[in-house]
Amino acid sequence: MPTNPLRDPRDRRLPRVPEPCALVVFGITGDLSRKKLLPAVYDLANRGLLPTNFALLGFARRDWGDVEFSELARSAAREHARTPWREEVWERLANSVRFVQGSFDDDDAFDELASNLAELEGSHGIGGNAAFYLSIPPALFPTVLKQMQRTGMAESTPDRWRRVVVEKPFGTDLASSRQLNELVDSVFTADDVFRIDHYLGKETVQNLLALRFANTLFEPLWNGHHVDSVQITMAEDVGIGGRAGFYEKTGAARDVLQNHLLQLLALTAMEEPVEFSAEEIRTEKLKVLRAVSVPDVADMDRFAIRGQYQQGWLAGQRATGYQQEEGVSPDSTTETYAAVRLGVETRRWAGVPFYLRTGKRLPRRVTEIALVFKRAPHLPFAPTDTEELGHNQLVIRVQPDEGVTLKFGSKVPGSVMEVRDVAMDFLYGEQFTEASPEAYERLLLDVLLGDATLFPRNAEVEASWAVIDPLEEFWANTTPHPYRAGEWGPRAADAMLEAEGRAWRRP
Amino acid sequence: MTTLWDTTGSAVVKELAAQRRTGGAVMSGVALTLVVVADEGRVAEAEQAATAAAEVHPCRLLIVVRRQIEAPVPRLDAEVQIGGRLGPGESVVMRMYGRLGLHAESVVLPLLAADAPVVTWWHETPPEQIARDALGVIADRRITDSSMAPDPVAALRNRAHDYYPGDTDITWTRSTPWRATLASTLDSVSGRRGEPVRVLGGRVEGDPDNATAQLVAGWLSSRCGCPIEVVPSPRKNGPRGIDSVTLQLDQGEEVRLQDDRKGGAVIDQPFRPESVVALPDRSLGELIGEELRRLDPDEPYSEALEAVTGVRGLSDRPACRDHVWFDPMRPEQTTEPRDVRGETAGGSATAHAAPTVPDVPGDTDEVALSGEHDSPADDSEEQAAVQSPAAPSAKKAGAAAAKKAGTR
Repeated sequence: MPTNPLRDPRDRRLPRVPEPCALVVFGITGDLSRKKLLPAVYDLANRGLLPTNFALLGFARRDWGDVEFSELARSAAREHARTPWREEVWERLANSVRFVQGSFDDDDAFDELASNLAELEGSHGIGGNAAFYLSIPPALFPTVLKQMQRTGMAESTPDRWRRVVVEKPFGTDLASSRQLNELVDSVFTADDVFRIDHYLGKETVQNLLALRFANTLFEPLWNGHHVDSVQITMAEDVGIGGRAGFYEKTGAARDVLQNHLLQLLALTAMEEPVEFSAEEIRTEKLKVLRAVSVPDVADMDRFAIRGQYQQGWLAGQRATGYQQEEGVSPDSTTETYAAVRLGVETRRWAGVPFYLRTGKRLPRRVTEIALVFKRAPHLPFAPTDTEELGHNQLVIRVQPDEGVTLKFGSKVPGSVMEVRDVAMDFLYGEQFTEASPEAYERLLLDVLLGDATLFPRNAEVEASWAVIDPLEEFWANTTPHPYRAGEWGPRAADAMLEAEGRAWRRP
Repeated sequence: MTTLWDTTGSAVVKELAAQRRTGGAVMSGVALTLVVVADEGRVAEAEQAATAAAEVHPCRLLIVVRRQIEAPVPRLDAEVQIGGRLGPGESVVMRMYGRLGLHAESVVLPLLAADAPVVTWWHETPPEQIARDALGVIADRRITDSSMAPDPVAALRNRAHDYYPGDTDITWTRSTPWRATLASTLDSVSGRRGEPVRVLGGRVEGDPDNATAQLVAGWLSSRCGCPIEVVPSPRKNGPRGIDSVTLQLDQGEEVRLQDDRKGGAVIDQPFRPESVVALPDRSLGELIGEELRRLDPDEPYSEALEAVTGVRGLSDRPACRDHVWFDPMRPEQTTEPRDVRGETAGGSATAHAAPTVPDVPGDTDEVALSGEHDSPADDSEEQAAVQSPAAPSAKKAGAAAAKKAGTR
């Protein structure tokens, strides 16, 4: 029997709205909160996707009252919101915004937080449900989690749920991520832990699943018989910004390769899930991640390249080198670029190289997945006719210009036979981006709904670290290859593909 | 943007193709064609709404304005543009004079995006019978707006008689925020109890003459299996016509939602403090955007419509209509079967329109009788007639001919 007669699966106009709940944000004054979280909460409210009884609690060290906090939240939301500003929506939201001041080791502050939450349960009718967003450095996790355990805030009971949202980095290697997982899982149950990888909230990434599993056109080609190689790129044109302290310890491989790129690889290479549910999708992703192989130790120097940007010119402006950035040691060996050749040891993908690369200070900001197909086994044309014909490619552009490009050969108009590559474009976004929810918006909503489809599970995180650890081990005590800011990475990365008769696609 | 005065359908097709070639960055993913049928006075409003909707759903936008059906000489003026005033996509605004208005599909059919769904939206008094408008017959989804009729509830009843799966009405779209709030309120009751909720009765207070209020009541009745009616409320109501909704639940509980006149509603439910939820008025563009999101038949709507009107078996009707030839100037020649339903006075009001206007050569009676009516031969003859400066009722005909775009 349905629990609510007004809910009808055929009635798809009615939005998915979470149960009454509170969102507690630790580190609410941070950058991420102001630029992403608060605007996402406002946008959700504006779209009518928040429950009627909802409360937002901010926790931070700053000495603020509810009023000052409310003002900050308002200006942050207003500045970064994607939907039009409606004062009445904000006012309604502001009524249920609270701020708790204190440091994370302060027992009193957490007692106050707990009593605030209990009070809201009654006064705002949130029914005891709460999601805790840890927008804080991982070093502080143990303190905060212990406090939550002490005050009993983390316990889910049949009447209420308590969930926790964790941001990357999820540890720095396999051992530390295990530790972190154990710690988080000891306080919350594994099902209540949501690890945010905001790439997975992007429409195109979800569209990848639709493209692969809703169509008959691509699946027959989606294997080693037809695919020559796969290139997954995430390039940024910016440098490290003000995050020198964090970046010095992390580097490109831990910052991007371990999470975003390996997740994209998993979605590209995974088998069809039994059904479109969190559990089944995660199961398939995990299988792929466990099947990922790294280059042999002997080949590592050719197939695992890291680089570091030197000074150069980017977008018409002079860019300083990494070692000259403020807060970076002048003889730093932290990489700002990483390119690796991985394999996926399954029947579907055996022998197909997966080239993953990421870097900072590259010519443009772009993320894409490119499937490069094999050349036709036989060409009935004269060799001169097809000189310009490359490999067919299917490119999934994750950002910007979200969409899909299909590259294939076509005859050049004219009296002679000449075949050249053309691109067919499907544009998912650009003019329409306003409509598709922002990644944080989508993910936040999923947390409140308890839908874990787009969140990696701890086993996936650990499997990813198992891929990264041998690379890091090899890279330790080596010097990254230099590349100029504004070019597509070090020469060695190009050589890596040239050695196998391939070349990087220019995104 | 190019304006073609006194033109033909094929010239419009050519112009659209030409603009697409020269337009540079052209939107590639057209997901559907939106045909808008609007009164001259409402064109600007319809354009604005359709543009807003097109920003959310990439579509080709065709706006059809029928003017002066009784004009003796048919004429087509068209405005073709890609990107610009009417949003990012391709759009054509067509003004059709004279009897061309009765054959609008002859211009529209070649302009539809290939193999993509067609949505027709009437931004005017809803048609008496959709089958009489070929622009509705070619559409996969049809959007009317009963609130534009003089008597919206009668118009809604008419929609039920005329219903085919794939029909929808803006008055129903307007109800979504109320329905979403009602559903999530019951969610929170069942969440608190940890067991199912049953609705035993209730009432909608508001304006009984408002189609949206009626549909919300009908929806509640159809979902809850108990009659829920609209009772008049003394307070003035907004476009949704609802002042409050009260539902009696099992276990002796009651929930009540009250419009707070400030763009929100107050929710009153047992064991919970009062809370306020935003129910902002949405623009027409947002409403159309919602309609374009799903293109499958809307069963909850048909069930709500059944509950309001008492007409049964709506979703069992066949999914497509056959065109019924109807000439507002010669209603007696209409081929439609004179059946029991939908024969109201509305149809005959237009039927009395001046029968004295001379008929156009080429638009013959046989055509009218047989229902075959898009012979291109007629078109060319009529075009020749239009060229004549003597054509009396094609206003500004001389000026138009002079301004005629050189794109043909």
